[in-house]
Amino acid sequence: VSFVPGLGIVKGMALTLRRFFEPKVTVMYPEVRRDVPHKFRGRLQLLYDEWGTLKCETCFQCAQACPIECIDMGGIDTRGRYHVHWGAPETYGERREESALRRSGRTVPDPAYRPFQPVDLGEVDRILEEFDHDPGRMLEILEATQAAYGYLPVAALKRISHVTGAWYAMIYGTASYYAHLRFEPPAATDQAAEVARMRPAEATYLTALGSALDGSGRPGEPARA
Amino acid sequence: MTVIARGWDRLTLPGKLVFTLVPLLLALTVALVAVIVVFGQPIIDILVANLPIVRFVVAVTVILVMTVPTAFLIIYMEMKIIALMNLRIGPDRVGPFGSLLSTVHGLKVLMKEDFTPTGADSLVFTWAPVVVYLASVMSLLVIPFAPGLFGFDLNLGLLYFFAVGGLSVVGLLMAGWSSYNKYSLLGGLRAAAQVVSYEIPLTLSVVGLMLLAGTMSLNQIVLQQSGWFTDWYIFQQPLGALIFFIAATAEANRTPFDLTEADSEIVAGFATEYSGMRFGFFFFAEYVNVFIVSALFVTLFLGGWNAPFPLPAVPLDIDLASFNVGLLFIAGLSPVILTLLFAAPFYLISSRVKWWQALIIGFVLANLFIVALLGAWAYIGLDWVAGILWFMGKTYFFVFTFVWMRGTLPRVRIDQLMDFAWKWLLPVSLLNLFVTAAAIVVIRSGQS
Repeated sequence: VSFVPGLGIVKGMALTLRRFFEPKVTVMYPEVRRDVPHKFRGRLQLLYDEWGTLKCETCFQCAQACPIECIDMGGIDTRGRYHVHWGAPETYGERREESALRRSGRTVPDPAYRPFQPVDLGEVDRILEEFDHDPGRMLEILEATQAAYGYLPVAALKRISHVTGAWYAMIYGTASYYAHLRFEPPAATDQAAEVARMRPAEATYLTALGSALDGSGRPGEPARA
Repeated sequence: MTVIARGWDRLTLPGKLVFTLVPLLLALTVALVAVIVVFGQPIIDILVANLPIVRFVVAVTVILVMTVPTAFLIIYMEMKIIALMNLRIGPDRVGPFGSLLSTVHGLKVLMKEDFTPTGADSLVFTWAPVVVYLASVMSLLVIPFAPGLFGFDLNLGLLYFFAVGGLSVVGLLMAGWSSYNKYSLLGGLRAAAQVVSYEIPLTLSVVGLMLLAGTMSLNQIVLQQSGWFTDWYIFQQPLGALIFFIAATAEANRTPFDLTEADSEIVAGFATEYSGMRFGFFFFAEYVNVFIVSALFVTLFLGGWNAPFPLPAVPLDIDLASFNVGLLFIAGLSPVILTLLFAAPFYLISSRVKWWQALIIGFVLANLFIVALLGAWAYIGLDWVAGILWFMGKTYFFVFTFVWMRGTLPRVRIDQLMDFAWKWLLPVSLLNLFVTAAAIVVIRSGQS
């Protein structure tokens, strides 16, 4: 049938004639504005509060909710202790640059800065095997992991997340809830002393700032009772 | 005075000519009318005695004036229809549904600079668009629009049509040659090659029809097709009609054979150096050509102004004089009565309609009714009204088809174009001619 000469022309003409009567797709732009698609999130932007501090608390809820997994973030946890990260390891270091941390209005615990180091994951695999890859027994897994490595390396947490299927954010939440779990080797935990030793001027400033803020809240705010 | 003098100095030579000639023509026309009114009878006698000349002048003027709105309408159709086929809306800002956009285009073209390149042969360069446009307009002269409504009834009408239509090649070559630009020259040669190649199958495809009709007068050809639509020549010459349609598409430089002005390929072809109204003439000529080609196809193969079926003759002999003074009352009162009549139901049915709103609705409806009544009366009573309606309906159907093809088909390559003309259309049109001739010989010898 396709060999009939001129049939293609007839088919094409029929197509354009059908299009002629179909509803049109033009949106009369300045007068009519089309609704934003419900998955549209706009441009990603970190907001600052009225004191110029980043509102982002690195809770990873946005990264977790992102339908197309385009959010990739890192920062300091809410208590200013540990580096946390969501996303591919190769984008990790850049997010923890000191200037970025300083911009975020948080303390910059310099000695804690450690480039992402791959660890031997055989140990984690063995532990996971032992606990049957069960995300319900996360606390035990994490404790065993800390017992094996001395702390909870990010790579190990990601491995656990990957293998058990639990969200990284939930594992991180579990780990940061318990005081006896730590994300850095014990030697690096005493950060404040380290900062005071290496950069005394900054430590003095931070101490002064802390004492100034302590009883009276943020500057510009009426003193708390 | 100085203002006028300065303005006069700023005008170019053509501008000075136009600003002199147009008022002169207007004054002459007014003077002519005044002289006719004053001296009356002798002048009318002279005009009646030279009726062919008067008729010729009037026909040429009317056709020349008619081409401009025709081109505007077809340009608008093209913009709108292709847009609708592309699922767009198309022009919608100027006038109702954007219908004045082509007029705006025309004005824009008028306001642009009329540029002549250095080194161009300015005389030929100026006359080329005129030749192209006149070739189109002159070929429109022999087309019968309705019974008794044609420029000439030349007994060589078809030959005249092809001869004058062939003049446009001269215009294209003039444009290409005089532009002092090798791309224009190449474009002009290309256009000429295409038009000349397709002229041959175009002419040969109607020779069979001429054998059948026994005449070359377009008016006679239309008259022979009167009656039912089965009498149309397309049913006796289907192959001829097909070849004519394809070759005419190429003649009019329409898609898929629009290589002469292929905007995406060659830089406007022969019209590269043209701007302003000179380019506008080429542009108009293209669209007038679309109309002409459609009109000729309708005239030759689709019965021209004949209705597809003979209408039953309705006797319509209302003697207006018998009403006497009553006619005045009817003419004066019928709009009022009709308005009230059409307004009444709207006012009575819904209490939400105010009396003045009902009156407005009634007035509009009454006007529509009167116009419809007059139209029906004209259709039945005046055969040229019916004729021109059918003719324009058929012609604009083909104009639509040309636009439709432009919205659908891709452009052919130049070698495909030439191959198709010489290797397919020419042999097939010869075959059509021989078969028709043989059939006529066999049938007529059987009859005698």
